[in-house]
Amino acid sequence: MSGAESLPWWAAIPVALLLVLGGIVTLVGTLGLARLQSFYQRIHGPAISIALGAGCILLASMLYFTVMQSRLVIHELLISVFVLMTAPVVSMLIMRAAVYRDLRAAREMDPGNDAGNS
Amino acid sequence: MLLASLVLLPFLGSVLAALMPQDARNRESWLAIGVAVGGLAIAAALFPQVAAGEVVRAEFAWLPAEGLDFVLRVDGLAWVFSMLVLAIGLLVVLYARYYMSPEDPVPRFFAFLLAFMGSMLGVVLSGNLVQLVVFWELTSLTSFLLIGYWHHRADARRGARMAFTVTATGGLCLMAGVLVLGHIVGSYDLDVVLAAGDQIRDHELYLPALVLVALGALTKSAQFPFHFWLPHAMAAPTPVSSYLHSATMVKAGVFLLVRLWPALAGTPEWTWIIGGAGVCTLLIGAFVAIFQHDLKGLLAYSTISHLGLITVLIGIGTPLAIVAAIFHILNHATFKASLFMAAGIIDHETGTRDLRVLRGLRHKLPITATLAIVASAAMAGVPLLNGFLSKEMFFAETLHVGGDRNWWMSYAAVAMGMFSVAYSLRFISVFFGTPAQGLPRDPHEPPRWMRFPVELLVLACLVVGVAPGVSIEPLLHLAVVATLGEDAPAYDLAVWHGFNLPLLMSVCALVGGMLLYGVLRRHFDLARRERVPLLHRLNGAQAYETTMLQLTRGAEWLLRRVGTRRLQPQLMLMMLALLLIPLLLAGAPPAWTVIPVRGFDPIFAGMWLIGAGCALAAAWMAKYHRLAALALVGGTGIVTAATFLWLSAPDLALTQLMVETVTTVLILLGLRWLPPRIESIAGPVQPPWQVWTRRTRDLALAVGGGLALAALTHAVLVHPASDTIADFFLLNALGGGGGSNVVNVLLVDFRSFDTLGEITVLAVVALTVYALLRRFRPAPESAGIPPQQRFEGDPASRQSPAEQAGSGYLLVPGIYLRLLLPFMGVIAVYFFMRGHNLPGGGFVAGLIFAVAILVQYMLAGTVWVESRLNLRPHRWLGFGLLLACTTGLGAWWFGHPFLTTHTAHVEWPLVGELHLPSAFVFDLGVFAVVVGTTMLMLVALAHQSLRAHRHPGEDLTADGQGGAEGRRI
Repeated sequence: MSGAESLPWWAAIPVALLLVLGGIVTLVGTLGLARLQSFYQRIHGPAISIALGAGCILLASMLYFTVMQSRLVIHELLISVFVLMTAPVVSMLIMRAAVYRDLRAAREMDPGNDAGNS
Repeated sequence: MLLASLVLLPFLGSVLAALMPQDARNRESWLAIGVAVGGLAIAAALFPQVAAGEVVRAEFAWLPAEGLDFVLRVDGLAWVFSMLVLAIGLLVVLYARYYMSPEDPVPRFFAFLLAFMGSMLGVVLSGNLVQLVVFWELTSLTSFLLIGYWHHRADARRGARMAFTVTATGGLCLMAGVLVLGHIVGSYDLDVVLAAGDQIRDHELYLPALVLVALGALTKSAQFPFHFWLPHAMAAPTPVSSYLHSATMVKAGVFLLVRLWPALAGTPEWTWIIGGAGVCTLLIGAFVAIFQHDLKGLLAYSTISHLGLITVLIGIGTPLAIVAAIFHILNHATFKASLFMAAGIIDHETGTRDLRVLRGLRHKLPITATLAIVASAAMAGVPLLNGFLSKEMFFAETLHVGGDRNWWMSYAAVAMGMFSVAYSLRFISVFFGTPAQGLPRDPHEPPRWMRFPVELLVLACLVVGVAPGVSIEPLLHLAVVATLGEDAPAYDLAVWHGFNLPLLMSVCALVGGMLLYGVLRRHFDLARRERVPLLHRLNGAQAYETTMLQLTRGAEWLLRRVGTRRLQPQLMLMMLALLLIPLLLAGAPPAWTVIPVRGFDPIFAGMWLIGAGCALAAAWMAKYHRLAALALVGGTGIVTAATFLWLSAPDLALTQLMVETVTTVLILLGLRWLPPRIESIAGPVQPPWQVWTRRTRDLALAVGGGLALAALTHAVLVHPASDTIADFFLLNALGGGGGSNVVNVLLVDFRSFDTLGEITVLAVVALTVYALLRRFRPAPESAGIPPQQRFEGDPASRQSPAEQAGSGYLLVPGIYLRLLLPFMGVIAVYFFMRGHNLPGGGFVAGLIFAVAILVQYMLAGTVWVESRLNLRPHRWLGFGLLLACTTGLGAWWFGHPFLTTHTAHVEWPLVGELHLPSAFVFDLGVFAVVVGTTMLMLVALAHQSLRAHRHPGEDLTADGQGGAEGRRI
């Protein structure tokens, strides 16, 4: 953590803003996960956290280390790419599981449809 | 070196023979003949030294720290025996060329035969008792393989098993006896042991040593009561019977007794044990032989009887008796080998060996008949043949036993002589009478060279019988002097000694034997009798089978009583042992000192809190919610990995992360086979008090075990690190190992021998899991497709896994995961390449690569992946082990110890200078083994879920996947 005070002001302001923004977005996403009613609503919380929150924090990190080390640091781009690709796929799989669960639950509510496969 | 090559040559030949094609009968024979001739040439080259009375020795360090050297030693006795082994071996090989049918897989036969030759030479030439036992067991093993050569026949398998069990058990007794001898004398060197005869005989352990050695020798030489294996060993091809079971291997027992005669003989115990067994064998063998209907069976029992004769002579133990014993060993080898070969020719030409069918063969096989009759005459002890000479010496020796009043030994000898005349007559009866009709094959004389060995051996019988003084005397003298030293008695091998008692006994035996045969034929229906009179109840083979059955039953009983198939009791016992045994070994734990907490980090503590919470919750959920429990265990694993990372162990963290991934997939695959929860008994039922007690006990035990381990870890952590070798590794990793990643250098350089062992274990475990899973059949309730996949409301239930990934709900993840495959491959390569200097290495890279493949399996199913990727996990395993071992062996090439690392600096055109340690190649082997292991286990499990859908009788193609799943991984 040492050396943060040596950051020039023109870099410090955007880094700080991005960090705060990322933090707020993530907090909102987490609150959503905890507070929203149905599963299909709750799934949006983590999506926001991952896409926007993580994106802001990664941008801040890129900016900070680029200025601090006086060279272009873009490892975070790779992280962003993988996060941005992984998160939707995982969300899709989770949602698919939820749909499947609801379908089965609906079928069990209405036993008349279930004659063929038990 | 000459000596070593004498033993090595047959083994080399054996390897070469094994590599030849199936139908290379001629090449195999030439190779074997070459080996035998080469051996004879080497032995001949040693003759001048041996003849001068020298003991030629060659020593090689074997286990110098234990005082064990690999010693080869030739004196007269060993020389005569190796000549016997090689000469008869040469003739047998020539004979086998014509005896073996073109359909038989000859490479196996000649490989085993040559290996036997080498082992037998090893027994004969060993100058070290432990080494002798090793070769001794090798002869048992090769004999087992040769008896079971036609392993499609039940009698061959049974005979092979019986022979091996008896002789190998005897070999173990011999090993024990040798160890006792070594304890008494203080050395295993044969010369030292032989010189310490008085010390051994006076020692209190003399009797145990004698009994154990005798057990080894008597089982090998088929002496009563272990004689039963030899007739069953006749299921072997006839060349084998002729070589192993008459001329050489069964002589190993009596050879050993002669060899150890200076050390062990000369006591009443020796006479009673050896002589007693010999007398019983002699009479039983000769008597039973008369009543056999199988040509080879008759010869087998006659062999038993003659071995008994030799054993009796050794048991009598006077120097002259030893002379007679050695002489009879040589004589018996000559005539019995030729008789077996003659029996083989008869079998070969007529297609049967049944004495009840064969008649009048002299018309069709005149030359073979003449040869066999002469050899049988030698066996019967007819004058002017070699058998007569040694038998007369035997009669003369029996007269000395028991003094002037006690004649029982002489009576036994004459009775045995009569029996042997009778069975010899029975044997040659096949050549007389009217020619038999309806034989399986029309007999005619065998090829010239098939008969040649018999001719040569019969000629030897005649020459020795007529002119013993010039033919056999020098050889015999060599062996006798080597055994008896200065005690060598004066003896005379002349044919005619004048009228004396032994001659009278010979005449009695001849006349009596002929009369006996006539009486048995006329009045006792010899040709059709099914049972041996008087002795048919004495069935050693039956006793053996009963013993084996009892042993198996006993083992089953023991397993039932003390074993369990249930996991819970096993785990409980293991946990109890874990808790109690350290307490018993180390006593009570030391007083507890509270260590003040320094440097408390709330983040680290919070992380651990999460991990511990996950672990507890996993235990809580494990009973009814296995999937949840699995996810929670994964949480604990990730915390562990993060801990390693936190405490600056990135290598461990990486490995832990990958292991965690692979393990989770493994358990996920296994979850499917666990029985489902029985919903009907769910609900708040008050368990009976026994259940409650049991659960409380188990809980206490589990908590106790966990706490004890935690306490132990804590104790280790708070103790100041004493002088460990860690500092050495830290200091020398870069300088000595050429890498800055100490963990990796440790694994592939400093302790690479450990790593080699570990990857071997990995490979073994993987193969075991694979083998077990191949035979695994799930419980009936989990054999079907799980209800989740059968749910018709879901469109995916109508699709195969490949279709789901190609066009179904997995389309998007499928594209992504297939895109990921090359990335993961690159990452694996990256971690592998930088392993020597930065976190990474073969182990982690292997796991990453395996996960990359696994992901594809999980996505599109086994069938899809395997129709596109040809993975061969077995080959990965084999290739990896081979690579690691070759790297290690490469160091030998440069004269360094096994697994020494060498670093090369290579100048590459584009990359520049590349640092290339040989440990890198070793690491590549580790990588391959890890990939192979993981793939093999997980894929084997994955295949289970395909296979289980098939029910007995179900049409394979109806399953939609059945057709392709037949492929094995």
